[in-house]
Amino acid sequence: MHINEKFTPIRKGLLEFLVLKIVSADKVYVADILGQLSGTEFATQEGTLYPLLSKMRREELVDYEWKESEAGPPRKYYELTAKGREQLRETSDYWQKISGTVKSLGQKSGQQ
Amino acid sequence: MNKVIIINLNGNAYQLEENGYEALRAYLDSAGRRLEANPDRDEIVADIEQAIADKFRAVLGANKTVVAAKEVEGVIAEMGPVEDASAPSGAAQADGRGAPAPGAHADPATGASAGAPKRLYKIADGAMIGGVCNGVAAYFNIDVTIVRILFAILAFTYGAGVLLYLLMMFILPSANTSAERAAAGGTPPTAQEFIRRAKAGYYEGMKAFGDRQTRREWKRKFKQDMRGWKRDFRREMHRGANQFHENWHQYWAQRGYPAAGAWIAIPILVMLSVLITLMGLACVISLLSTGAVFGMSLPAGIPVWAGVIFLIIAFRMATWPLREMRHSLYFGGGPYYAGSFVHFWNSIFWIGLLLLLIWYAKHHSSDVHEALGQIRPQLRHAVDSVKQWLDK
Repeated sequence: MHINEKFTPIRKGLLEFLVLKIVSADKVYVADILGQLSGTEFATQEGTLYPLLSKMRREELVDYEWKESEAGPPRKYYELTAKGREQLRETSDYWQKISGTVKSLGQKSGQQ
Repeated sequence: MNKVIIINLNGNAYQLEENGYEALRAYLDSAGRRLEANPDRDEIVADIEQAIADKFRAVLGANKTVVAAKEVEGVIAEMGPVEDASAPSGAAQADGRGAPAPGAHADPATGASAGAPKRLYKIADGAMIGGVCNGVAAYFNIDVTIVRILFAILAFTYGAGVLLYLLMMFILPSANTSAERAAAGGTPPTAQEFIRRAKAGYYEGMKAFGDRQTRREWKRKFKQDMRGWKRDFRREMHRGANQFHENWHQYWAQRGYPAAGAWIAIPILVMLSVLITLMGLACVISLLSTGAVFGMSLPAGIPVWAGVIFLIIAFRMATWPLREMRHSLYFGGGPYYAGSFVHFWNSIFWIGLLLLLIWYAKHHSSDVHEALGQIRPQLRHAVDSVKQWLDK
């Protein structure tokens, strides 16, 4: 199995975390989120993102407002709620812990 | 030249090529089904429609007003399969709904069954003659062999099967594009479901087909109905048999019972015609499945259907004396006695000749001998596949 496939479930699980991060920086609409993810290992598609955002909104992590766009119909711009910011903080901490563990495990004890 | 279909995506009209429209509808239907359990389903589907509309707008311009099928497929591929984020991923994977589909269009298992109207097509892939049987089999989702056997049987009732086949060959459109092929094999997963749907307008229920609970409920209802249907059918058959019995008595009462010898002759004759019918059937089946009859293949350049017609004519000729004979026996006591007696002997002569020919062929041609030996297993095979189908 290719390494890329092995990490599919992990990337999937992390997607919500990354969306929280992206939305926390600025009010964005879906194309922005896709654009920011597109160059990365987490590149995804509308088919995945819309259901995820809808779930996050149901869990009151994000909210959206309609905004007129220069071209075409109004768009949904997403932003974090207080609960979303809280969740982002917790997730970030947890992620720090995980990456710390990943780094430290398997190292020779002499180096510690 | 392509037909154009105008659609409404979130309040804006877009013109799509027909194939593109089919693909898009399959995609959106499959999206709706995968989000079945999602409380925000309508909103998500609206969002997705909006995103698709945005992408269409990027493709169109002042001099381009129609979205081509290729472009629709491109947009669908860009959108990616719709995955329900709130569904437990394990369950979603288990029943295959969460597995990403490579564009609903190219995925007949999920995409095409998305309620696209099912149509009868000819399917040339793996066809023996014109793909009619193939198309019918796809339509009812049964084994193509069974359809072929049915057509062969029909062919022996005054050639109805052949006529029907030729008619369908001319009338039915061929399934050339993948969308058409999907539509040919589309919605109802089994023939019974088709009957069911036609019977009770279960069309709406099909939308919920991805949902296990609904499916189970639906299955239960369906089984119940089928039991009722079977009961009706049996009652009908019973009544038919009684009717036949009555008619039979009336018939003989009117005409006077035939001579004593006829009571022995008629069953024998009937048995003979049944045998010949079975043989004729075996011939057509072997012609259709192996392209050869009694080990003799068709001369090059003669299509299979011509062979089938030839076989049917030969069959009619072979059974003609038998029919003639039965006829003369039935009217044996009547006013046509003298004339039919000649017919009777005429027929006996015919049958004798036929039997002699078969006997000669059997002993002097190893091919024919083999082919005669083949009839039994072939028949058994045919009966088995019918049984299998009924068991399903």
